[in-house]
Amino acid sequence: MDDSRPLFQQIAEQLEAQILDGSLAEESAVPSINALAAFHRINPATALKGVTQLVDAGVLYKRRGVGMFVAPGARERLRAQRSEEFSAEYVRPLVVHARALGLSAAQVHIMIDKEMS
Amino acid sequence: MNPVAHTEQVAPIHVPSPAQRLFNVSRLHVANPYPTLVVPWAITAVIFGLNIAIAQMVVSAAGGTSNLDADAFQYNGGITWIVVFMLVVGVQAMSLTFPFALGFGVTRKDFYWGSTLYFVGLSVLYATGLTLLSWLERATDGWGIDMAFFQPWGLMENPLSTVWLLYATSLLGAFFVGAATSAVWVRWRAIGMYVFFSALAIIVVGAGWLITSTNSWAKVGEFFTSTSIEALALWSLPFTGIVALVGYTLIRRATSR
Amino acid sequence: MSTAIEVAGLTKHYGQVTAVDDVSFAIPEGKITGLLGRNGAGKTTLMSLLTAQEFATQGTIRVWGEDPVENAAVLSRMCFIKESQVYPDSFKGSHVLRSAQWFFPRWDVELAQELVDLFGVPTNRPVKKMSRGQRSMLGVVIGFASRADVTFFDEPYAGLDAVARKRFYDVLLEQYSESPRTVVLSTHLIDEASHLLEQVLVVHEGSLVIDANVDDLRGSAATLVGRASDVDLFATGRDVLDRSHIGGIASVTIAGLNDADKALAASAGLEVSTVSLQELIVRRTGANPAEEAA
Repeated sequence: MDDSRPLFQQIAEQLEAQILDGSLAEESAVPSINALAAFHRINPATALKGVTQLVDAGVLYKRRGVGMFVAPGARERLRAQRSEEFSAEYVRPLVVHARALGLSAAQVHIMIDKEMS
Repeated sequence: MNPVAHTEQVAPIHVPSPAQRLFNVSRLHVANPYPTLVVPWAITAVIFGLNIAIAQMVVSAAGGTSNLDADAFQYNGGITWIVVFMLVVGVQAMSLTFPFALGFGVTRKDFYWGSTLYFVGLSVLYATGLTLLSWLERATDGWGIDMAFFQPWGLMENPLSTVWLLYATSLLGAFFVGAATSAVWVRWRAIGMYVFFSALAIIVVGAGWLITSTNSWAKVGEFFTSTSIEALALWSLPFTGIVALVGYTLIRRATSR
Repeated sequence: MSTAIEVAGLTKHYGQVTAVDDVSFAIPEGKITGLLGRNGAGKTTLMSLLTAQEFATQGTIRVWGEDPVENAAVLSRMCFIKESQVYPDSFKGSHVLRSAQWFFPRWDVELAQELVDLFGVPTNRPVKKMSRGQRSMLGVVIGFASRADVTFFDEPYAGLDAVARKRFYDVLLEQYSESPRTVVLSTHLIDEASHLLEQVLVVHEGSLVIDANVDDLRGSAATLVGRASDVDLFATGRDVLDRSHIGGIASVTIAGLNDADKALAASAGLEVSTVSLQELIVRRTGANPAEEAA
């Protein structure tokens, strides 16, 4: 765990990553608060806060008396959300730098194609 | 909001009654029963055994009890060690068991009166045990050799009830004197001890000087010879009571440091 | 949220020494609160005051709304595990555990035995002859088995190695998850324990310097590096913990920043790096971070 950022955010991000890579399938049960707390050796309230954040975002949902489950469509929504973040965090600065160097959109496309192939 | 999903419902803590709390403190003192319930009897048995052995050697060397003074074995003071021992028990009750009990959330009030219960119980127990041994001593004509180990200094001539009373009041006094002295230490540490023993020395010397200057030694001696043992024993009770109250006021504001 | 303990203007003098200096705070019910600070900061004195083992010079303490001093109803619901606990000379571990059940109404005999086995407490050994670590473990067993409404652990793992400490953290989480209770954990091992805490109180030289929720605190301090004029402009009016200059470049560490503040700093051309909780507390308590990390 990274000690410079709130732990509940890191818990939420880890669960999101597991949903994105498919290790937590939609409609499958999420580990209980106590299990998460014990595994990460963190305060249960912190684990609950991370999970609550995902419930509020509609990524997880609660079945009364049973536990937390991955919401249907959660993976797709997370992917869309992450794509948006990717665009903001990486593509926009890339475009700024490319313009500064006087590179055209076509030239940047070629570079990206080369990296991704 | 409760942070945890699945939790057992915990029943509220039931606070024990005052009587139960005092009883708990008194049994805290005997959580390990050996030092105060077993060891003293064992040591008494050893001292008694040694004294019997020595007396037997004297008797055989003299060629029988008839060749010895009638009161040859009447002045053995070996049993008084137990009073000193109980003084130390009183000291440790305050210096060690008190901070330990504070750590268990015991109030000073409960601790002191629970300890008092223990002191009274132990005094009665030992007085009764030693009186039974005194009775045995009488029944066996001083263990066959006219020895007065459990009732020295002519106590043998008094009723057993007097023996019991003397033991009970002496032990009780020893506990509280030990506890109060120790409470001075617990409350004020080394400085308290310096002041306490200085004050004690001044009082003893002052009393001696007062008696001497008023030519009263004869009167003092007369008081002790003319007053019965029972009365002397009973006279110690108000004194013990005052010492006990002093100990209580000291402990009420003492800390575990 | 309900409050277990409330303290106002609490002060404790020992002669000329001020061990606790006009401290006010609240300890929430059912949470794990960390009492952090360097050795000698006043943590033990503070807990001794809350459990009525010491008397306050000034100020008020309320535990469930009542004064704890000589209050059996309050004291029998609390358990204070103190590193410097005194034991009767003749007591073995087994005598301590046997008598504990008379004073903690919710004492759990089975749990005590389980923990004795887990931590390997030599209950047959006189407490006087136990090592520091063994005495710590005996204290830890009492702290958990008492199942008190409020449990204070004062440096509960003095003399314990990393494995035993991990075990302590695991048991703490397990016990807390099973039956949430108020726990106050005092320690100077901030990096190890901070993940277990929900609230923190940081004391320094008898004064309270931080009283915060851990999540709010974590990531709230950052070091900003950039042109001295930009840095100074941003730092004006903020809670600066540390400042240094080299040529035209300045570096400041600022507490109490939120995400918007950090974004603002970044857009002003400053390099922002968040400071860890451990480092934040170390800086708050006036120590040289490099020295403390060693």
